[in-house]
Amino acid sequence: MKDYAKHKRPEMLEPFFPNEIFRHIIVSCFFIVIELIAIIVFPLHTNLVIKKPDHIPWFLLPVYKLNKLIHHETLFISLLIFFALLFISWPFLVSRKRHTALPINKEQDTRIHHVRYTKRHGNLWQSPIPFTIVIVVIISVVMLCFINL
Amino acid sequence: MLQKDVIHNKDHTETVHETENENFLKEFIERSITRRLIPKGLSWFGCMGGLSLLAFIIQLGTGIFLMFYFVPSTREALASIQYVSHRVSYGWLIQRIHAIGPHIMIGMVLSHMIRILFKGIYHHPRELHWVSGACLLILTLLMYYTGSLLPAHNDKYSTVHLTFLYAIHIAGIPLAMVLCMGMHFFMIRKTGIYEPL
Repeated sequence: MKDYAKHKRPEMLEPFFPNEIFRHIIVSCFFIVIELIAIIVFPLHTNLVIKKPDHIPWFLLPVYKLNKLIHHETLFISLLIFFALLFISWPFLVSRKRHTALPINKEQDTRIHHVRYTKRHGNLWQSPIPFTIVIVVIISVVMLCFINL
Repeated sequence: MLQKDVIHNKDHTETVHETENENFLKEFIERSITRRLIPKGLSWFGCMGGLSLLAFIIQLGTGIFLMFYFVPSTREALASIQYVSHRVSYGWLIQRIHAIGPHIMIGMVLSHMIRILFKGIYHHPRELHWVSGACLLILTLLMYYTGSLLPAHNDKYSTVHLTFLYAIHIAGIPLAMVLCMGMHFFMIRKTGIYEPL
């Protein structure tokens, strides 16, 4: 198990119990309330026919629209598999040089290592090409949902 | 006398084993829960992964309940769902939770993945966290798709086809999901959530 207390001052840490446990309990209660509200508000279709556009759920809408756009089953399935593989292997496609091994028992070196790690493995907007790809894909998926076919 | 000694030794060994087990359990709980320290200021959005797990557990519970009544046959599938909704006590609630739950579950998984993607937490050494998480998202979508076809009153599907879909929905995909989840949680425990190793 990962030891978070290693190379850290006490003020940088908090107890897992009760802090994190309570955080999860509060969020879980909100989740259950949202689910119960959704049950009351949204209608239930028991006679579902998946091909009917009205009953396509929001998260399968881009896939449905893509199918309508392509009109070729083999090409459509190949594209889906290709995108799924691309999605799964994303970290390997955008990986940069691996960070150096962690120095032992040197707090200062560890801090330098942390800064280097953060620089190399920072947020997505710090790497322009992957960021552009992600934004273009998100916009395309959203636009695909609104295309009238 | 000899028999008494044997019984006494046996009792003593059992007591030692029980004490060892109790100590091991106590130490395990202390190490992983009560005495465990985590980095300060973790985001509330970091709970999305936990909520996805909660949604999965709810789906599993309600799914097991529905399994007792659902008939995987083209003629009786829809009727069995309607029977649960109208005749079984609180069946309507269980069925609605099972029908609405995936929408919220997929919302949670997607928001969790978008957070991971934009924060760049998938980099080395956490590539496999992303792989298992992405597999879980795809499996969740497949789970929804197979589930939505089950009550469909559609003449296109034969009973054999429906039984196959049902088997995938209740056994194949959940098993694959449990395996991926095990891998996901094991790696999170090993490498931590968001820090250099």
